Amino acid sequence: MKILLKLIIIFLPISFILMFFILLSEDKQFPGADYREFDLPAFSLQNLGGTKIIKNIDLKGDSIINVWASWCITCRVEHPYLMSLNKKGIPVIGINYKDDRNNAVDWLSKFGDPYELIIHDYKGSLALDMGVTGAPETFLVNNGKIVAHYQGEINTTIWNKVFAPIIDEKDMFK
Amino acid sequence: MIVEISHFLSILSTALFFLAGSFALTLKNTTYISNLISRTYSHAFLLLSLSFFIYIFLAITDNFSVQYIANHSNSALPVFYKISSIWSAHEGSMFLWIFFLALWGFIFNISIYNEETLKPKTIGIISLVLVGFLLFLLITSNPFVTILPIAPLNGADINPVLQDPALAIHPPTLYLGYVGFVIPFACSLAFLINNDPAIKWEILVQKWSVAAWIFLTVGITLGSWWAYYELGWGGYWFWDPVENVALMPWLAATAFLHSLSVSIKSSHLRTWTILLSITVFSLSLFGAFIVRSGIIDSVHSFANDPQRGLYLLAFISVIILISLSLFISRLSLIGTPNNIKTLSKESFISINNIFFGTLIFSIMLGVIYPLIYEYLYDQKISVGAPFYNAIFIPIVILAAIFLFFSIDSKWSRVINLKFFSKPISLSILFSLAVTLLIFINIEKVSIFILCSIFAGLLIIFRYLIEIWNAFAYKKYLNPFSAIAHFALGLLLVSISLNSLLSSERALNIKINEFEQYKDLKIYFTDLGVNKGSNYDSVQAKFYIEDQNGNSFNLNPEKRRYFTRGQITTETAIYVSPIRDVYLTIGDQLEDGSWIVNIQINFLIRWIWFSACLMALAGVVLILSKRKV
Amino acid sequence: MNPIRKKRLSSILFVFLFSVSGVSLILYSLNSNLDYFFTPTELKKVQMPPNKRIKIGGMVLEDSVKRNTSKISFTITDYENSVIVVFEGIVPDLFKEGSGVVALGYLDNEIFYAKEVLAKHDENYMPPNLDIKQ
Repeated sequence: MKILLKLIIIFLPISFILMFFILLSEDKQFPGADYREFDLPAFSLQNLGGTKIIKNIDLKGDSIINVWASWCITCRVEHPYLMSLNKKGIPVIGINYKDDRNNAVDWLSKFGDPYELIIHDYKGSLALDMGVTGAPETFLVNNGKIVAHYQGEINTTIWNKVFAPIIDEKDMFK
Repeated sequence: MIVEISHFLSILSTALFFLAGSFALTLKNTTYISNLISRTYSHAFLLLSLSFFIYIFLAITDNFSVQYIANHSNSALPVFYKISSIWSAHEGSMFLWIFFLALWGFIFNISIYNEETLKPKTIGIISLVLVGFLLFLLITSNPFVTILPIAPLNGADINPVLQDPALAIHPPTLYLGYVGFVIPFACSLAFLINNDPAIKWEILVQKWSVAAWIFLTVGITLGSWWAYYELGWGGYWFWDPVENVALMPWLAATAFLHSLSVSIKSSHLRTWTILLSITVFSLSLFGAFIVRSGIIDSVHSFANDPQRGLYLLAFISVIILISLSLFISRLSLIGTPNNIKTLSKESFISINNIFFGTLIFSIMLGVIYPLIYEYLYDQKISVGAPFYNAIFIPIVILAAIFLFFSIDSKWSRVINLKFFSKPISLSILFSLAVTLLIFINIEKVSIFILCSIFAGLLIIFRYLIEIWNAFAYKKYLNPFSAIAHFALGLLLVSISLNSLLSSERALNIKINEFEQYKDLKIYFTDLGVNKGSNYDSVQAKFYIEDQNGNSFNLNPEKRRYFTRGQITTETAIYVSPIRDVYLTIGDQLEDGSWIVNIQINFLIRWIWFSACLMALAGVVLILSKRKV
Repeated sequence: MNPIRKKRLSSILFVFLFSVSGVSLILYSLNSNLDYFFTPTELKKVQMPPNKRIKIGGMVLEDSVKRNTSKISFTITDYENSVIVVFEGIVPDLFKEGSGVVALGYLDNEIFYAKEVLAKHDENYMPPNLDIKQ
């Protein structure tokens, strides 16, 4: 009887704990990641300076699209990482999302500008077509086609785990 | 700069806690060592609290170079909410959690004499638990990370739903409850390590456990009350996973307190008491794990990070497995003096432990079953109120009836329980009469609800008679037990009547028109636009009349906050002892009318009142000098 | 078998039977009270008994929200398939077109009658709405 009791007392928590380890180590590690492929939606929007119109055909080739805004604190946090991407020669395209133009320009002059091109999406219409629900979000673009999408702050870990396998597979940024 | 000091202090305190813990477990228990451990702990606590208060200071002074503060606070917030923003997300709330854990240990440390045999080991175990959690905080969820060199000018604002006084105090109260059970946990482990069954650790921890239980009770009640008036759904309990992980330790703690009183009175159930003390704390830790690992989607859960989940799980498993193996290895030493006599108070409490165990087990299943199911079949499911109702209603009714008959039972004695003594038959008669009255007057009553009303009434009337006897004939009555169980009866009756009588409906009303709902006439008198300090709002004004000619105004609002553009509904509630009238406004329709949701919630105040009464019973026990 | 052992055996048997029946009762009520969760695409694939309580989740399709009297109807989509939802009552604060939503109710003739509508939200992750004017 005592042995049975002892077994139950030890067995029950161990099985619970094991189960949680299995559940946790399952591959839902990056809930913000989405690998559905789709073409860039058609759009025609001004750049941040208001000097020219950018269309979807301008985004040919491989690039990173980063959705950001000056009101977004997490964008501020991931900003140094974007700067380092830019230094590595990876083209980063910004979508300035639901943001005031002056605030955005101020923000860039203060912290630095990692973007090759910035689309000013004041109404969030392009972002909506791309399935953006907030900022920051980052897309991986291969030959004008979106191949990966990440919601939330990107950093070295996210880059290596979410984007790098696809970049290798598709042999991008060559 | 200041943030680095705070960071450094918390690292230093971790080291000191580690020292205190290793002293306690390695050195021989002498007066000198006991003093040493006690002092080391106090100093470590001093450093930790200094670090915590500096962090609060940083939040008050809008130091947005700290990433966490920048993400969760805003310079436009009132000071009160700047402080509460600290526990609005994972890192800061973990910090608060740890601070409270250390605080309980500190108060225990200064109020128990160093000569107490179990004290050094108890403090040592608390210190080691603290070390584990501090390492978790510093390694995986550091709240001290800065955004340098250039800090943002303003913060991101905390979620307006969370800008609410009840919510600002709800998590701290709940945390105080959760972590308070570290005292009985550490003490029972110290007792097991010490290996001397003559030591009565139960007496040492009783009041501490009751204190933690009070905080847990009040914390859960506050959460329920907040959800009721803030979320705009009008319910008081949603069986949300996070509510469930708070309810499990509460149930376990209640079972523990019962078992504890048996162990103190008659040395029975001592093994049970130890096992329960380990269970309560493990369930508290499990709650922290569920909420913080992101393994479960919930309104309350924090942003997820798998690394955090793994660390927490690993640490919690170490705690649980070590304490359980210790428990098993010492099982034979504790032993029970003799068998429990049938129909003694102990026997009833043993049965009560089984009921509590079943409830905890069912909630646990309800929480984890969807996870297993999704893992196995790749199909998402959720377990909702129907399951919990199916389990809780019959068990609680059964438990209430056992409680009713246990009132006359005595400690360690077989007395001839008269099942039809005067008080018992009187209370059955009264309860039957009232239940019958309800049955006749209300259509469509489910048999289960009638049963639970009956069971609740049994307890209420039985204790009313006991209280009368206590005053009129000076019959002894344990005030703690009487108040707590009376509150349970009240809780049962009010929950049942609430679910029986409450109703809701969505109405469309145009300005200057009225609608009739049940006995209420609702006039839509005016619509105004207001400006608050950090939001805009549309406020609808209603004038409501009931059939007795009573009238009142209700002004529900919809707010739009500037910083995030988030829209919140501010409900308007007419409060009375019998029923609440609960109004929320929705959207405007094309024809210009507004959707207004009206709910009539009966006896909802009594639900929270009963819960507070239970907490009050705990206060009575703590203040009483008599051993209970 | 001596009487003590016999007694012990019967008590073990009793406890065992008691706990097994208890656990199976709990599991039974758990299984009969589950709410299954589907995306619109998954919903197309399965055969659903009418009036079975289920949950569906997805995004609220742009321009699909229609209100008449106290009812609101909208389309939940996962950008592959979609389901029309009818709901009576007030939708939550965070409900809007293009945002995530979960509805609890039952499917009848391809229309989902919701009893409860919950909007998903992430504490850290909320775009501001710039046009604050009414």
